[in-house]
Amino acid sequence: MNNLAILPIILPLLASVIVAFIPGKLNMVRKISQTLSILFLIIVGYITWEVFSNGVIVLQGGGWKAPYGISFVADYLSIILVLTTYVIAAAAVFYAPHSLSNQQEKFYFYTFFFLLISGVSGAFLTGDLFNLFVFFEVLLMASYGLIILGNGKVQLRESLKYVLINLFSSMLFVTTVAFVYSIVGTVNMAHIAERVEAVPAEQQGIITAIGVLLFFVFAVKAAIFPLYYWLPNSYVVPNPVVSALFGALLTKVGIYSIFRIYTLIFVHDTSFTHDQLFIWLAMFTMLFGVIGALSTNNVKLIITYNIIPAIGFILMGIGLYSEDGLTGSIYYLMHDMVVKAALFFLVGALVVAAGTKDLSKMSGVIQRFPLLGWLFFLGTLVLTGIPPFSGFIGKLLLLRGALSEGYFLLTLVALVSSLLILLSMIRIFIRGFWGEKMEGMTSDNRKVHALTIPAIFLLSVSIFLGVGAELVLPYIETISGYLLDRTEYISSVLKG
Amino acid sequence: MVFAVFAPLIFAIIIPFISRFKRKIHTGWLILPVPLLIFIYFLQFVGRDFSTIMQSTNWIPSLDISLDFYLDGLSLLFALLISGIGTLVVLYSIYYLNKEEQLGHFYTYLYIFMSSMLGVVLSDNVFVLYTFWEFTSLSSFLLIGYWHYREKSRYGALKSMLITVFGGFSLLGGIILLTIVTGTTSIQEMVSKSDLIINSEYFLFILVFLLLGAFTKSAQFPFHIWLPDAMEAPTPVSAYLHSATMVKAGIYLMARFSPIFSEVPLFFVLLSIFGLVTLTWASYMAVRQTDLKGILAFSTISQLGMIMAMLGFGTTYGVFAAVFHILNHATFKGSLFMIAGIVDHETGSRDIRKLGGLMTFMPISATLAVFGTFSMAGVPLPFLNGFYSKEKFFESSLHLEGSGTFVEGLITAAPIIAVVGSIFTFVYSMYLFFGTFRGEYQESELPKKPHEAPIMMLVPPAILVLGVILIGLFPNFFNHVLISHSADAVYGDSVTKKIKFWHGWDSRAFQMSLVVISLGVLLYLTKSKWDSIYSFLPGPLSFNRVYDWIVEKVESVSNRITTFYMTGSLRLYMVLILTTIIIITASTLVFTGGMNFDVNDLAPITTAEIIIATIMALGAIGTTIAKNRIAAILILGVVGYGLSILFVMYSAPDLALTQLIVETVTVVLFLLCFYHLPNLESGTKSFTKTGTNLLISTGYGLLMMLIGISAYNSRFAETISTYFMENTYKLGGGHNAVNVILVDFRGIDTLFEIAVLFGAALGIYTMIKLRQDKGAK
Repeated sequence: MNNLAILPIILPLLASVIVAFIPGKLNMVRKISQTLSILFLIIVGYITWEVFSNGVIVLQGGGWKAPYGISFVADYLSIILVLTTYVIAAAAVFYAPHSLSNQQEKFYFYTFFFLLISGVSGAFLTGDLFNLFVFFEVLLMASYGLIILGNGKVQLRESLKYVLINLFSSMLFVTTVAFVYSIVGTVNMAHIAERVEAVPAEQQGIITAIGVLLFFVFAVKAAIFPLYYWLPNSYVVPNPVVSALFGALLTKVGIYSIFRIYTLIFVHDTSFTHDQLFIWLAMFTMLFGVIGALSTNNVKLIITYNIIPAIGFILMGIGLYSEDGLTGSIYYLMHDMVVKAALFFLVGALVVAAGTKDLSKMSGVIQRFPLLGWLFFLGTLVLTGIPPFSGFIGKLLLLRGALSEGYFLLTLVALVSSLLILLSMIRIFIRGFWGEKMEGMTSDNRKVHALTIPAIFLLSVSIFLGVGAELVLPYIETISGYLLDRTEYISSVLKG
Repeated sequence: MVFAVFAPLIFAIIIPFISRFKRKIHTGWLILPVPLLIFIYFLQFVGRDFSTIMQSTNWIPSLDISLDFYLDGLSLLFALLISGIGTLVVLYSIYYLNKEEQLGHFYTYLYIFMSSMLGVVLSDNVFVLYTFWEFTSLSSFLLIGYWHYREKSRYGALKSMLITVFGGFSLLGGIILLTIVTGTTSIQEMVSKSDLIINSEYFLFILVFLLLGAFTKSAQFPFHIWLPDAMEAPTPVSAYLHSATMVKAGIYLMARFSPIFSEVPLFFVLLSIFGLVTLTWASYMAVRQTDLKGILAFSTISQLGMIMAMLGFGTTYGVFAAVFHILNHATFKGSLFMIAGIVDHETGSRDIRKLGGLMTFMPISATLAVFGTFSMAGVPLPFLNGFYSKEKFFESSLHLEGSGTFVEGLITAAPIIAVVGSIFTFVYSMYLFFGTFRGEYQESELPKKPHEAPIMMLVPPAILVLGVILIGLFPNFFNHVLISHSADAVYGDSVTKKIKFWHGWDSRAFQMSLVVISLGVLLYLTKSKWDSIYSFLPGPLSFNRVYDWIVEKVESVSNRITTFYMTGSLRLYMVLILTTIIIITASTLVFTGGMNFDVNDLAPITTAEIIIATIMALGAIGTTIAKNRIAAILILGVVGYGLSILFVMYSAPDLALTQLIVETVTVVLFLLCFYHLPNLESGTKSFTKTGTNLLISTGYGLLMMLIGISAYNSRFAETISTYFMENTYKLGGGHNAVNVILVDFRGIDTLFEIAVLFGAALGIYTMIKLRQDKGAK
């Protein structure tokens, strides 16, 4: 039964290898990938159910007891994010054949895709700080493979910056792990947490400093202000399906890691790290992100920039470090993963439909593609956090958390950013979809149609997360209580 | 009641399907019964002395959000307006919009609106109210942009959305604070806990947030600017959303929450001030408009200001007059909008400068317009409801109480401002009627030959005018069955007022009316003499410009900020990233007292180590200043080999060996690659750039050293490595601890590092292969 904790990592790794052997038989590869994705989703669904009904599942890798081996911890937080990942993966694998050229698919798209899923799931599930570094490498390499699929000059140029900055953060990661090890002598997260708790107060300063350093490692990956420079362009150049995977998964792994270590390990000086550092950075992240989204006419770039304020919202919840804050943050995280993927899918379809990425050259697309237009409108509402859709639930909790602790400036910034997010998105709707019918729209209606179907699936999930919040929210509340307590995590890993 | 709220929404969802299959019949006919039935449903409560009705359905109990619908006098008045005028508007639209238009869209938006608006006035749960509130804004956005191929429609739609959604978010902030303070999400319970709210430290924020929400929605000065541009919507929409219902949502909100603030003078003072300013300014501006709907838009704003002011007076007089006027305004303004639409429809123009003399062509419309405009102007005739509410307005402005210099000043000023605003109201009412229906007929100016509208199109405004007359003739009947109930609900106590036509010559309110009429007639007749004043006031200043400036600036400033740092230069990015990390981490280290710099505990440094380290450092510096790629990589090799010597010295021969091999292979590979690359550009680097680079790299190195040493000095617990040393052979079956860790204890790390290699290999293969394929083409 314990092995369930590692299945979401191993299964896609296997799938990745399997499809690598038959790159030429494209139809077969597609069929296999689609079948497997759905199968995996079902399996992960089952594991999630198992975790929520029978408690945290811990696997000690190779049977070596913690903290000496590598622990995999399928706890409430990680499994729910893994589940969200698989939902997105299932949608993406149906989007890919219509979005990519045959040649791109043949060059191991599916291999890199499954490798990415494996890396992301690994990052969510591992209970070991060094192992987390390894999974970061896996997903970095997979994402690198995905960016260069286009193999244009732009892709290579942007992917170089992406790789260099991320390599730098990986280097810093290893260094920091070494620092942590030199103080507490262990790399198992639960064990670190236990030992950090026992560190006497006068020595905690250095731990805070190392914690901040580690925060920056993840902040680079999560695209928190002012460390996100690599993100916009490297997410814009690849194919929409790749952008969707990146936007939905990669930055989220970074923010998840912050979530994990700052609820499990570094909670001894929250008045500095959480209340000051995170709150301020959250505000700047929201504002600068949305300012970026308003600065461009490239529709894809608008969506890409909108990744950043969402990260700000999630960081805000971690900074609040209260039941409302954490619940809101997790809800927002799930919501954002789903809706970002959906929006990238839609904007990919829009670019195909309009034949251009430039908003100033678009108009009247809705007259030919009403379904696409309305889905985009719906996506805008979901993203902005208009009730009764998924964005609202998270935002409500976050704002409630902020206001009940008296963070007025933060609330104002959050509300203003929401309004600006709406403006940045509705611009696309007003200028691109409304207006006189433009020249040069594609005649390939079937392709556009095929591209919208995965988005419909994801948007339905978003609506469910909003309207059906009662079916989900109690579980998320369990998670935040569980995170605030910490003992269950520590004891299930170390004494399990 | 739940069904009544959601019925239009359900229809909104199926309308697109109906309209697609039933091409022959105008979609409007098929769905007309929906609002009619809702109207009849709510009509049954009228006149009955019903106690308030509450219906609950759970939705998200975890967040205390449930669909609680609450019916009292106030909600009933609004529900009747929404469904009643909704019915008339749908009927009217059947003739206004022809079958070639995208009717499915139109009715979908309209019915979403209907549901949301009913939801706003019937919800007791603040979050449900907020949900519906945002949906009224959104459906209004879609309806304004209905003819989205027009530039102005898009402009108006965006403007209304930004301003009303801005207000919506502000409202959200307000209601979250209310729930935090009171611990409940029900408005009724909040009212009962009003002392908690008034005494809370957040009180001022709550007040400001709520007022912003209400003022933006109800187009109060200076947020009124979206309403004139909203006139780009089809006229049935203007009649419905932008005069009779949606714009009154803000007023509804204030009326609903006013019992909470009954002890707070500030609340009432603010409402009165904004209301009076809006009333005067908008009525003044209305006279200047040339578009029929433009006049009506400013007129609506001004009337909304008047209602807001009456609510703000807070007395029984004021509350009663406000509620009464909500009903009256809906009747006469609704009919006037419909007539404006008819004029537009039948003549092809809404420009009052081109219209004139239409009385002879459109006698019925003209007759209806007489009632509408004269009622709006407050002409003292016993069959015009507008007169009664104007009288009540004057009366309430005379019955103000309060203390404090400012408030007393306001009390003195209120009747005067009321008169001034009413004078302009009178002027634009006359201007509207006479400018359109009397005067000279200008045939050449009009695109169409004018003729009377089809009879069914005249029915809806006629019904509304009938309402004007009936309320005028039997004010106390309506008072008894509806108005007093509504006023009670707002005031929270019994408000009994009689409505009388004749108060006698000595009635101050009547005297004020006479002043209004005489000055109004005078100003109307001399309009051409004084209307050049508009070039001074407002002149070029207007809040529209502020809005346009903000929207334009938001984009251009965003662009400037973003391009400032998103230059695409990797060097700049790294500089920014490293600077941030250094500054924040270093200050953390210092301020938390984490620095623990003590070299005593460190291993002694030998001469050999110093020599090697110096060579490595020189190598690293040399690499950065090398002029040629091959030289650079060879010098870099020095660093790597130096490191492997250090490994040897620290008794890690296997690591040294690995390092040696890696170093050799990379140097060789680099050399191979460089064969294909052009020479290094020998551009002169600027001194500042080199200086920054030097500073940052030194800073980063120092930081790492400080943290490293401090971390070492703060070591706290025994490392887990003893376990590995003890068990490598016993449990792992190997002699080399490093190897056993790699393949057994932490074998999963290794497995996935191999996966990384797998990915890297495929990636490189892909790059090469894709390039070759491109070349082959």
